[in-house]
Amino acid sequence: MSFARPRVFAGLQHRLVLAPRSSVTRSQLLAYRLLSTSSNRHAQHVQKPELTSDLTNRTPHRHGVSTPQYDPQGNEIDPYKGGPSAIDKAVHIFFFTEIIRGMWIVLENFFRPPYTIMYPFEKGPLSPRFRGEHALRRYPSGEERCIACKLCEAICPAQAITIESEARVDGSRKTTRYDIDMTKCIYCGFCQEACPVDAIVETQNQEFSTETREELLYNKEKLLANGDRAEAEIAANLYSEHVYR
Amino acid sequence: MHFGLAKNSLRSLFPRRSVQYIRARRLATADSAVGLQNPGAYCKDLVRKHDYEGFLVSQFWPRELQGGYYALRAFYVELAMVQDNVTNPTIAKMRMQFWRDAVKDITNDRPPRHPIALALHEASQKSNLPVYHLKRIIDARDAELHTPVHLTTESLISHAESTSSTFFYLLLSLLSLSNSSTLSHAASHLGVAQTISTLLRALPYHAQQGRMVIPAEITAKHGVKQEEVFRKGPGAEGIEDAVFEFATLGNDHLLTARSIFEEKKVPMSAMPVFLAGIPISRWFERLERAKFDAFSSEVVQRDWRLAWRMWRGYYNARF
Repeated sequence: MSFARPRVFAGLQHRLVLAPRSSVTRSQLLAYRLLSTSSNRHAQHVQKPELTSDLTNRTPHRHGVSTPQYDPQGNEIDPYKGGPSAIDKAVHIFFFTEIIRGMWIVLENFFRPPYTIMYPFEKGPLSPRFRGEHALRRYPSGEERCIACKLCEAICPAQAITIESEARVDGSRKTTRYDIDMTKCIYCGFCQEACPVDAIVETQNQEFSTETREELLYNKEKLLANGDRAEAEIAANLYSEHVYR
Repeated sequence: MHFGLAKNSLRSLFPRRSVQYIRARRLATADSAVGLQNPGAYCKDLVRKHDYEGFLVSQFWPRELQGGYYALRAFYVELAMVQDNVTNPTIAKMRMQFWRDAVKDITNDRPPRHPIALALHEASQKSNLPVYHLKRIIDARDAELHTPVHLTTESLISHAESTSSTFFYLLLSLLSLSNSSTLSHAASHLGVAQTISTLLRALPYHAQQGRMVIPAEITAKHGVKQEEVFRKGPGAEGIEDAVFEFATLGNDHLLTARSIFEEKKVPMSAMPVFLAGIPISRWFERLERAKFDAFSSEVVQRDWRLAWRMWRGYYNARF
């Protein structure tokens, strides 16, 4: 297929050429590697047959024995002949095969590295979009990014942000007070989205529990300190998912 | 087995990845003057990170105008990215309002302390940048928030004309060439081609987000089911034909833009603007080679020969 105008000539050519196989296997491999994150994107209904137990097929039943035979005293001779053995019955009554299959999984996992992580020392992966403790960023030159536009204060649904600003000699505005009440915050991330200068961000830190309530009323110094500590991480997260149209 | 593998690869991947990003960031902003004192450096950094092709083009701009180019490009990128960085149109509208106020304040010589606004102010002092072009871009992006999906190709083209074509008009006025109607005409067609190529390049991303970038008019003609594209991607029925038709539309605009110039030779003074046509035509060529499968890895990857092509195109004065 090409951009040539008359489609009649060039239009259907690509259907005749076989697609390169390598890209198919590659994409399949990629899909396999992404299984844990994208399982429901590829989910499809599988037509499974009805669940049946093939007990009747596997156990020789008494169908073969047409009539029971009796001895002279009237007792039936060998009544279990042709029927399931005691072990066969036990397998089905006590779920023997299931138990053994379950034990096998236990045994397999005994030899594998554990899935658990030693939490405070070892941490699970976090999404770059994770919304945790807040921080105020600076430019690489050290100037504060915040321009006191108060968009974050306006959008905050929990009204957790309080800003006071003053005009400076050069006519620009700067915050004199930037407080976030972390007990009110619902971590919706709207402040980060509304900020035109990327000043207020939510870092990936989720471990900021304190002993007193007062410590959760953050002021500007605390937020700037958070930003200075996590700047590299914040910049990497902002960059890790950017698109452009 | 699967779980074990996934966990191990996750554990080994994550720390390494973040270290890599941190290193990349250090390299990109090695110069510590990036900030309000030096807004040009901030814009350059933004353009390099988010629009690498735009960054390559900047190398062919005259030195004294490069700052203005970076400012305009950063402004354009910033506005284009707003809608992907927000979850709620209200927030995006607030940011658009910020930029509207910023443009107004720039004309009143009181730019807000945003590096891009400062850089734009600096550029508007040096050369005459019509404010209505800046406003038109903001308004178009604002309108796009409500209708991210286009029903007809006409509405898409009019959107393209008020975003990327308008951006090219701004670049022309940066070079003081905005009087020439030939150049403006070519720029308007190039802008449409650019919007179409950008949208098609991002088709896998938008499909993942559940957005269809190809106008409904075209997809309906080829019987493409949108839901199938979101779920199956390249396997969806008719998507190749729809991509073909949409890409042909873009390519036609590119060809029109080329044919406006005599013998397809662009005047050397306007070449920095029309150099943006080279990445577009290169990308259309690659799409054609991949048989119009916009999801294939050959199309999605960055083109390593692009810098060479642009250098050659600049000295041949063609795009």
